[in-house]
Amino acid sequence: MTAIETTAVSLDLSILLGDWRNTNAEGGIARIVCRGGEPGEMVVQAYGRTADGMNDWGAVAAPVFAFTFESKQAGAFNAVFDLGYEEVHMQANVKAGVLVVASFNHFKDRSGRSNYFDREFFHRIGGA
Amino acid sequence: MAEPSYSRRAHENVTMPFPPPRIEAEVMDGRWLKTSEKPQWIDSLTIETIDGDTFLQIRGSAPPSPPDWGRVRCDLVFANAADTANARAGGFIAHYDFDEMHFEVQANYNLGLLVVATFVTFTSPGPFTNRFTREFFFRA
Repeated sequence: MTAIETTAVSLDLSILLGDWRNTNAEGGIARIVCRGGEPGEMVVQAYGRTADGMNDWGAVAAPVFAFTFESKQAGAFNAVFDLGYEEVHMQANVKAGVLVVASFNHFKDRSGRSNYFDREFFHRIGGA
Repeated sequence: MAEPSYSRRAHENVTMPFPPPRIEAEVMDGRWLKTSEKPQWIDSLTIETIDGDTFLQIRGSAPPSPPDWGRVRCDLVFANAADTANARAGGFIAHYDFDEMHFEVQANYNLGLLVVATFVTFTSPGPFTNRFTREFFFRA
């Protein structure tokens, strides 16, 4: 994928910011924390769920998107977490107060595992 | 970077022979039409898998969506789990680059529907905000 020059317009991030927890206690992504970032972006930190608890994937800058071309309210983001052995493309949007996260999981190692799709839901427990 | 054993998500803790099986993206092949009668971002999609590569052609529904986005090869296709090649409940990612806009298409196939999300990014200042769309399609 080539780098794309984009416009950086500040959108209202209020419905996305905060500390989000998976509604499924056994979900693959345990926690997502959304904080403010550069114009047109947000800082997203995610935690994978492991047998022993949570694993911090680190924080990445994620572009934010509105639901209409006229809106100044961000409702979605697109984040990519490179874990080395695996790349997780995270598509997230808020619907009825729920953060709906589709993950496109791409393995880069020689483990033989297939790339796979998953979809999980998160509720907000606090602001960021 | 090797995968630290402590980092593995529980449902990814599977043993598979290398190389992984080819993901059977053919289950998504065909022409897909929008479920809504109203104008929207995407009107229809055509998916075709040839020799292991999956190609996507999209037709736009209403401006500023281009009438014909053209045909691109999907960057990645996805199964429904790490231990299968089954693309039912799987998906794909593709990109379109135009002078004024860039589209990342992320789709998943579920319950006979194709759920298509796009991240629309404008490359220069204008009247429109970068936008997320999520639309539904049935097989023609």
